[in-house]
Amino acid sequence: MFENYKKSKIEQRGLGSRIAAQAYLWLLLVVLYAPILLIIIFSFTQSKVFGNWTGFTFGLYENLFTGYDAVAQVKVDPNLYRAIFFTVVIALSSALISTVLGTLAAIGIYHMRNRDRKILTFMNSIPMINPDILTGISLFLLFVFLGISRGLGTVIAAHVVFCTPYVVLSVMPRLTKMNPNIYEAALDLGATPFQALRKVMMPELWPGMISGFILSLTLSIDDFGVTYFTKGSSGLETLSTFIYADARKGGLTPELRPLFSLIFLTILVLLIIMNIRTHKQQNKTK
Amino acid sequence: MVFQSRSTWAWPYALFMLCLVILPLVLIGVYAFTDADGSFTIQNFVSFFTKSEAINTFIYSLAIALITTIICLLLGYPAAYIMAMADFKTPQVMAMLFILPMWINFLLRTIATVELFRMFGLPLGEGALLFGMVYDFLPFMIYPIYNTLQKMDTSLIEAAHDLGAKRHQVFLKVTLPLSVPGIYSGIVMVFMPTVSTFAIAELLTHNKVTLFGSLIQRCFGEGGIAMWNYGAALSLIMLIIIGLTSFFGGDKEDINR
Amino acid sequence: MKKFFFAVAALVLPCVLVSNAFAADREHTLKVYNWADYIDMNVLNGFPAWYYEQTGEQVEVLYQTFDINESMLTEIEIGQEDYDVICPSEYIIERMLRNKLLQPINKNFGNTPDYTKLVSPFAIDKFQQMAPDSSVCVADYTVGYMWGTTGILYNTALVNKEEILSLGGLQNPKFAGKVFMKDAFRDIYSVVVLYAYRDEIARGEVTRNELVANVTEERIQRVEEFLTNMKNNIAGWEVDFGKEEMTKGKAWLNLSWSGDAQWAIDEAAEVGVDLEYFVPQEGSNVWFDGWCIPIFAKNAKAASYFINYMCMPQNAILNMEEIGYVSVVADSTILAWANDEEIEATSNLTYFFGEGAEAVHANHVFYPDQTVIERCALMHDCGDKTEEMLAMWSRVKGDNLSSGLVIFIIVVLVLIVVAVVIRAINNKRQRDLQRKKRNRRR
Repeated sequence: MFENYKKSKIEQRGLGSRIAAQAYLWLLLVVLYAPILLIIIFSFTQSKVFGNWTGFTFGLYENLFTGYDAVAQVKVDPNLYRAIFFTVVIALSSALISTVLGTLAAIGIYHMRNRDRKILTFMNSIPMINPDILTGISLFLLFVFLGISRGLGTVIAAHVVFCTPYVVLSVMPRLTKMNPNIYEAALDLGATPFQALRKVMMPELWPGMISGFILSLTLSIDDFGVTYFTKGSSGLETLSTFIYADARKGGLTPELRPLFSLIFLTILVLLIIMNIRTHKQQNKTK
Repeated sequence: MVFQSRSTWAWPYALFMLCLVILPLVLIGVYAFTDADGSFTIQNFVSFFTKSEAINTFIYSLAIALITTIICLLLGYPAAYIMAMADFKTPQVMAMLFILPMWINFLLRTIATVELFRMFGLPLGEGALLFGMVYDFLPFMIYPIYNTLQKMDTSLIEAAHDLGAKRHQVFLKVTLPLSVPGIYSGIVMVFMPTVSTFAIAELLTHNKVTLFGSLIQRCFGEGGIAMWNYGAALSLIMLIIIGLTSFFGGDKEDINR
Repeated sequence: MKKFFFAVAALVLPCVLVSNAFAADREHTLKVYNWADYIDMNVLNGFPAWYYEQTGEQVEVLYQTFDINESMLTEIEIGQEDYDVICPSEYIIERMLRNKLLQPINKNFGNTPDYTKLVSPFAIDKFQQMAPDSSVCVADYTVGYMWGTTGILYNTALVNKEEILSLGGLQNPKFAGKVFMKDAFRDIYSVVVLYAYRDEIARGEVTRNELVANVTEERIQRVEEFLTNMKNNIAGWEVDFGKEEMTKGKAWLNLSWSGDAQWAIDEAAEVGVDLEYFVPQEGSNVWFDGWCIPIFAKNAKAASYFINYMCMPQNAILNMEEIGYVSVVADSTILAWANDEEIEATSNLTYFFGEGAEAVHANHVFYPDQTVIERCALMHDCGDKTEEMLAMWSRVKGDNLSSGLVIFIIVVLVLIVVAVVIRAINNKRQRDLQRKKRNRRR
């Protein structure tokens, strides 16, 4: 019916307004993608300064992978690689912890009495509403107050804070869909709670956990505000804070351009593959 | 055994949240109402309301955030509407295209925007700031509106058509009111990050414009010792703004459901 | 999928453990806290070997950096972080001495020569001005590292030197949107206050040192006036990007530190842009950074050796060549290094190198002439005026609020209130209606 409605609506409209509507969307997209295109275009030139074109070359990609700038005969800033390393470590560990913590929490919250459930759901929503600067500052004050010196551990803890609520939210709908009796049935048949969790509930919750994990990964990689306040001054940098420090100095490490071009293209390809797959599945079910 | 009852499985999380969410927020309050020696004072708030530069920066940031939100709404609603109504073979792809840029680090995108302004010879400043903010947060506006519009019960619109309503009447009387929840969450999702943003303003204006977020950030960096408490006071004020926004936003959403 | 999770766990845990292992073995670790980009990394990396040679002890250097003096100070004062050796600016040293946060440096190096003796008396004398009272010998607590001046960096193709001999030249409407200012309120204050009171100085009513050292409300106000008047000319407040903008030719003028200026001049020369630096005729400030050992240090011995190591002339030269600032070390090696026959003009540097340096062919950005130094003053801690300084700085930098925006905000707020009230009334009406219906049913 929806399809039919759409058609009828389109038929009502003149060709002109249809083209105008389409043009508007594409215009927005062009503006939205212009800076990214700029990054990609300038990843194919060697110039140190972003915005100067000094001829087409794959030089920066070479530098990025070899870690050595053959033209200027200097090493590519080693802090860049450390930043990449720590970004990955922080993202993976905080996503992992969040997924475990969040899944357990979701199961717990689901089986709570109404009042407790409301309290926890409210608490769960705080880190999602809180802007990153406030999360960052509040944790900064906490670590200072408790005399914990800031570093990798505090950054991971901080990332778990803002990732876990999303895991809870993505696991929750799975629980509502699940047959509530199978866990009890497993226990009655002599399984320990851990076994019941692993053998009976986990298979049902996997999709929610995976999407929570992936969401946590992306949130963690993209985060700047919270990391900025919790990383301390031990020289720990993630890509975000590295870029910020770079930008404040005015010069952007040139190898960031190919790095993010590659990240962008990877994601683009992944999305396209996912889209094709879901499309095929839809066709099959039809 | 304790773990037999599954409600206990949330206890580690509850404890974690208590230590790393509730306690830190309480600490903001504690620091806000104490001086550097730890004794009670309201001086931090007094100086916020009496220092022209602090209160002006606050109002200025509110205004910038509001303008950004309004521009996002004006640009985003038509886009969401077109996407939801038009017959694309794959409307999901279109929605995806709007979200994809968010996968690139926002600071890097901002720097690229600065470069873009340079290329066209445009000056950095307030205009660049607004452009950059709209650019960064537009997807947050489009997506929720698109979602509500797409899930909307279309039979209502058909009914309106059948009953002889004109197109603009249908839009004003049916579509728009039905999309209000999406608009609200879009507004909340754009307003909250814009009012608290701190790094982009610096990059987009060559540090010429100070936003409330940057002011807070500075209290925990440059200002030195006494400023932590002042910064906490400013954070508390921002927390109140955020609380109010989400309260009204959430409230309205519930009513419309 | 489960395997995937365990694979991730197996990958992550070792990484976390390895990273945590960094912190171990404190007594053989030297925690150095320095400005970012403020050392030749080769010199730094050479320290453990040198230390082992001199003392037979192992040490691992844990090097950390800061961008802002005050954040470093806060970490030590409130956080009580156990850095072994830090590099604050002179006014922070003043504050740390007053708050008793520094310990004396043990200069008993055994068989190792004491290179700290090579520090120019000029620097020691300036540091002594930071003493909280006359009984304190500042040289016991700090050994200088780098020093420099604040001045105007300009593009010679676009700006005539005559136009900006005086700092007032920066207000020239010709330079609209072309001037970058260092985002450092002390340095800008010092430079501007000397301009604002140039007549008083000329009449001998007040000395430069007094103006820069004693911050008063009236002085803050006159500085603010100057900065507000030239607001239209200011393209931005730079933490560190000014030099980059200058080399690109996007900015014409930059009020910056001598070291940054030298960096920009070198960088710009490579792309064919000609930049020059000079200290305005009304005067400016001269600043010093020095090595200190905080009382919370856990490895004071290695710290004192580190300070000594940094004063070795060959290391000082390596550092200077790398970072573009000027070491306070002044011995014959350094003098020979500074004397570059290619430079035509000579400067009188006796104030720094002592006798025999009356006419040195030195880079004037690095080593200003005696006459320039005479019109430079030393900045002190602003004490209780810090907050007013910061307030002035915020006003100058960030107050962009216009009446239009205020009206806009008020209108929006009123609209929101109206909407909320209308909704509340509607809700109440509906609830009343429902209640009435329910009552009727009963």
